[in-house]
Amino acid sequence: MIRSPNRIFAISRKEFLHIIHDPRSLLIIFVMPIAQLVMFGYALNMEIQNIDLAVIDYSKTEYSRRLVQEFEGNNFFRPYYYEGKYSEIEQLFLKREARVILIIEKDFDKNYQLTGSVAVQILIDAADPNAGTMMKYYCNFVINNFNERYGGKVLLPFNVQPRIWYNPDLKSSYFFVPGLVALILVMISALLTSITITREKEMGTMEQILVSPVKPREIIIGKVLPYILMAFLDGFLILLIGVVLFNVPFEGSYLLLIFLSTLYITTALSLGLMISTIVSTQQVAMMVALASTLLPTVMLSGFIFPIKSMPVILQYISYVVPAKYYLIIIRGIMLKGNTLAQLATQMLFLLLMTAILLRNALVRFKTNLEK
Amino acid sequence: MQQIISMLIKEFKQIFRTREMVAVIFGVPLAQMVILGYTITNEVKNVSLFIADRDNSRLSREFIRAFGQTDRFNIIAYETDRKKIEQGIQSWDAQMAIVVPRNFNCDIQRGQKPEIQIIVDGVDGNTAGVAVGYAQGILSQVALNFYNNRSIPFSFRTNRIVQMEERMFYNLNLDNAQYMIPGIVVVLVTIISMMLSAINLVREKEIGTLEQLLVTPLSRYQLLFGKLLPFLLLTFLELFLVMTCAKFIFSIHVHGSYLLMAALAAIFLFTTLGLGIFVSTITGTQQQAMFVSWFMMVFMLIMSGFFIPIENMPDILQKITYLNPMRYFLYIIRDIIQKGASLPYLLSDVIPMTVYGLVIFILSIMNFHKRLA
Repeated sequence: MIRSPNRIFAISRKEFLHIIHDPRSLLIIFVMPIAQLVMFGYALNMEIQNIDLAVIDYSKTEYSRRLVQEFEGNNFFRPYYYEGKYSEIEQLFLKREARVILIIEKDFDKNYQLTGSVAVQILIDAADPNAGTMMKYYCNFVINNFNERYGGKVLLPFNVQPRIWYNPDLKSSYFFVPGLVALILVMISALLTSITITREKEMGTMEQILVSPVKPREIIIGKVLPYILMAFLDGFLILLIGVVLFNVPFEGSYLLLIFLSTLYITTALSLGLMISTIVSTQQVAMMVALASTLLPTVMLSGFIFPIKSMPVILQYISYVVPAKYYLIIIRGIMLKGNTLAQLATQMLFLLLMTAILLRNALVRFKTNLEK
Repeated sequence: MQQIISMLIKEFKQIFRTREMVAVIFGVPLAQMVILGYTITNEVKNVSLFIADRDNSRLSREFIRAFGQTDRFNIIAYETDRKKIEQGIQSWDAQMAIVVPRNFNCDIQRGQKPEIQIIVDGVDGNTAGVAVGYAQGILSQVALNFYNNRSIPFSFRTNRIVQMEERMFYNLNLDNAQYMIPGIVVVLVTIISMMLSAINLVREKEIGTLEQLLVTPLSRYQLLFGKLLPFLLLTFLELFLVMTCAKFIFSIHVHGSYLLMAALAAIFLFTTLGLGIFVSTITGTQQQAMFVSWFMMVFMLIMSGFFIPIENMPDILQKITYLNPMRYFLYIIRDIIQKGASLPYLLSDVIPMTVYGLVIFILSIMNFHKRLA
């Protein structure tokens, strides 16, 4: 297939110089994933703490105070007494002065002591349904504690013991370091290549190259080589930072990861080539590439949101997202020490996808040229 | 005036010249809204589960039935062999295993407190944590019901009890779309106004047509105005389109005032268009412009509270979010749509957003002029 390595290298050299001449883009390509890594590693936390809790205590007796103390005695809530009118309590939510409101009725103490059963009202700002559910659980937890402390024992006759494998502290960085590698590889390989080739088309320089003795195949190989190199370098950088800074383990084989990463990069490059044969301006290439690489890779691959929680149709669509397979590969190798045999399905899917994309891209590229 | 109108006509022709671009401006955002609306959820469903019931008592069978009924879990196999469970979790077949030990029920009757194990794949820490929470909830609920109907081995009834009556405000059905779609609208508005305007301005520079425009009788303000107005109009059109679709697809109901929303969106657009101009002045090619605006987008997205709640972030990061104009607009849009908030309640966000918008816009325009001169 490769007839003249010299010509390929000449094109690669040109493309490489082109990249180097643009230090700003280069900086962004390398700095952005690291910034993302740090932000995701530290910012992503679904556990809510220090929730503002407004207390309206009409009872003001011993047990109602103890109940408020119970809410105070953990990191979940920051209770304070609200002295305003009852009719204006919704303003607490609108002004974001509280996310939970606890209302203790006048006869709280009396009913608690006499009948042994009393209800408190809890109003929750559930605009964010996930936070709303969690705040409800927290309230439940606090009130259960209160019942245990003052109302007698509430105990299960057995223990439940969670054993968390591969990531005992449930660190989000374990999840995001491999994920970002998958994201960056596809961004560089698919996005950058599609833009580069479209740029030559838009500027009219593609025709200049074509009248030179270089073959279309050689043009493509020459053009993508520097990007493959860059993708590897960037991926390596993220892994290094993840392992050094965030102590993400690496259980499996480096060789296997490099091998399967090469396959994944090839898939992404084929996708980039495919896009560049369809569109004619960089602007459109960027938007199409963003919509067909960034969005699915972030949303439909399991990068953040688990595929199994999605509607069925989107689960089917996720089968054509290359990152879905690569995420299993890289997380499996790094965190679980998976072997090639355990990842065979993923590898086959990537191979199949590459074959289809590459064939289509090459055929279209040729017909485009002949026009 | 005539000049500006001709310029506007030229701009619109240029934007809509290719069919692809129309698809990009209207089709892609809609597709994004649908996909994002369905995927961005912190709920966990269909966790694949191994059940290892070594006891096979009435209680343990109750457990299994409960796990089979909920859509949170999806039982894929009954497997008591520890080795096979380990392999299954390692090779991604199952995410969780629940192990009920031998003689579980007998041990309970003897008051020995046996132990149920929940083995979970922690690679996705967030999902794992939530799933363990669900599992613990199901186990204790089933056990409580089971013993409430039977002779109780020892007391877990209480003498006195406080119960909780909760009311969920603003989102009775805990529908995730009601929360996420307003956020997605903000993201789409930002993409269109910031990214496209930056790329469009740079394109003229890159191709060399900006100089041609400069030698026309148009003044520089007219030129910039003619460049930005189409994007302002496009963004509003987009906003209208997306909100209409949101209403039909996700039954999003706007509780507040449309007029207020549009007015505040216009203020926010000063910020994003300003950023678009800024990006165009510091970059030379479309590729660079895209990268820089993409970089800013990612920062703005993560730090806005769009899918990572700001309240949960470490203190330093929380302070950084105040630098993010999207943060303010996101709060505003969510409060208007979900809570029907009126202007007085939103001032704490509107004021910083307006100041931001003006400062960024004026600085960018000054910078743009300097670069051209």
